[in-house]
Amino acid sequence: MDVLQLGSYTFSSRLILGTGKFSNATIMLQAVRASGAQLVTVALRRFNREQAEDDLFGPLSAIEGITLMPNTSGASTAAEAIRAAHIARELSGSPFIKVEIHPNPQHLMPDPIETYEASRILAKEGFLVMPYITADPVLAKRLEEVGCVSVMPLGSAIGSGQGVATAAMIDIIIRESGIPVIVDAGLRSPSEAAHAMEMGCGAVLVNSAVAAAGNPPEMAEAFAEAVAAGRKAFKAGLMQKSGSAIATSPLTAFLGANG
Amino acid sequence: MRPLPDWLTDNRDTASLAAMLAPDSSSSLEALAAESKAITLRRFGRTMTLYAPLYLSNYCSSGCAYCGFASDRKTPRHRLEPDDIRRELAAMKKLGISDILLLTGERTAAADFNYLQRSVEIAAQEMQRVSVEAFPMSVNEYHELAGCGCTGITIYQETYNRERYEALHRWGPKKDFIDRLETPARALEGGIKSVGLGVLLGLSDPVEDALNLYRHLRHLGRTYWRAGMSVSFPRMRPQTGGYEPPFPVDDRLLARMIFAFRIALPDTELVLSTRESAAYRDGMTGLGITRMSIESRTTVGGYDDPENKEKGQFEIFDDRTAKEFCLALRKKNIEPVFKNWEPAYNGPSDGNASTVHPEKAEPCH
Repeated sequence: MDVLQLGSYTFSSRLILGTGKFSNATIMLQAVRASGAQLVTVALRRFNREQAEDDLFGPLSAIEGITLMPNTSGASTAAEAIRAAHIARELSGSPFIKVEIHPNPQHLMPDPIETYEASRILAKEGFLVMPYITADPVLAKRLEEVGCVSVMPLGSAIGSGQGVATAAMIDIIIRESGIPVIVDAGLRSPSEAAHAMEMGCGAVLVNSAVAAAGNPPEMAEAFAEAVAAGRKAFKAGLMQKSGSAIATSPLTAFLGANG
Repeated sequence: MRPLPDWLTDNRDTASLAAMLAPDSSSSLEALAAESKAITLRRFGRTMTLYAPLYLSNYCSSGCAYCGFASDRKTPRHRLEPDDIRRELAAMKKLGISDILLLTGERTAAADFNYLQRSVEIAAQEMQRVSVEAFPMSVNEYHELAGCGCTGITIYQETYNRERYEALHRWGPKKDFIDRLETPARALEGGIKSVGLGVLLGLSDPVEDALNLYRHLRHLGRTYWRAGMSVSFPRMRPQTGGYEPPFPVDDRLLARMIFAFRIALPDTELVLSTRESAAYRDGMTGLGITRMSIESRTTVGGYDDPENKEKGQFEIFDDRTAKEFCLALRKKNIEPVFKNWEPAYNGPSDGNASTVHPEKAEPCH
């Protein structure tokens, strides 16, 4: 069976859903169900133990068949992310942690140095670490070396909807990686998700594109179908791209002339 | 007199904002609204972060001509003591509030740095996120405040027109225009994670002020690349003292400013307080504003004692309860978010701290 392997966990769905940005918890839960996602990320800063109505964790944890992956969005240093990871594990019981460290809250670009440091320590402590990174092939290998269970390079800036603008770098990361590569951030349309899967990504993570859609549950379903189609295409093996037509009188025909 | 900083005349990237704000601008308000709405939805989703102000003290040493708490007003003065603060916080928590802005006047003996620091410590034990709008401080003081759980500083320049600024601030420490201008930088230097800037709309030419505010934000963003930033759009409201704003800003110009800032700064938090009417705030929901105050009181305290009839710093316009306000947000398909921060991220921003110090003591227990 074709499954996404993350540490000792396996998932048949290759669509991971983000949970911020929805207009209410009901719509968010409908979208999660419609997406068929088995892995869902939620920011620790949106856990609210004092006010159920404002809490994202409670309603998500009630859905069967979902593994929660808390994230450290809001942390700006490795130390903060590590503190957050410990609290998140205690509250959620999940071994997964999405390390998300963006020191600049304006553009939300991940800090490679802090992310590396936090991931190294958390992986050593036994967390299943999924770091959100810029599409940097060297950083991806460094994170694999320290025991991360996947790497999550950005397709483009969070919430930008610019698609897989980093495709050339992600292509290198996929070719070189021994762990699943998950495109996270920037996807706007299901076709972009399909494209990422055709490239060989292990999964994609989508939030804004679903939450900001006119009908989030329907869009979640569309993404699920696109991800499945993209994966199937990758497994089937895409035909080679050719930059030009094949000449009828090949330039190298002379090579055969004298054996 | 100290000269103006170079960045105040930096025109590197002001052209498009200036074009959107110009009184004879060719961009229609409707087109700006549509673009601003689309950017907000992509970047912030269908959410609105909520906070509430708590006035700790109305003692003040400054003579701001437009302020209900200026030192020459005959307003009764008091401050909240630690137990009062705890009672107010408990009342605020009952309303669901977990993100709080603590306010004081200019520095006085009755409400000095030690008093503010103690108040922040108390608030940080109860609330998820604590910001401060008080007097300008030193880099060291900001560092200490960050260590006690203060993550944000709000400090309005009021106006960037130096001549008008000096005329309006009749006496007191706030009279120093350049010192005020340098305050947000000192806060960030001290490790405060985010700064909230704004001009008090009505005091001076609003378009000129908006452009200078933008220059200030860009300057801070380039200098302190980790800085979180937010922009508020406070319009003058009737207040004790009866000051009449010489440059009133109408609803359409305020809307134009909000849309133009959203387009020019797609990732920046834009704030609209209860100074504005319920209808205006509801209308702006989803169009560019991402953070709003709720249940505001502008008296010292006021949450624990709803019968308090004292006059506040200015009149609240949108006096709906949190419940009513959230209902209105939900009607617009926007989720009210009370907690959007995690105290695990508190503490001074340490710059290039790539090493982890697990042995480092937790601040202020």
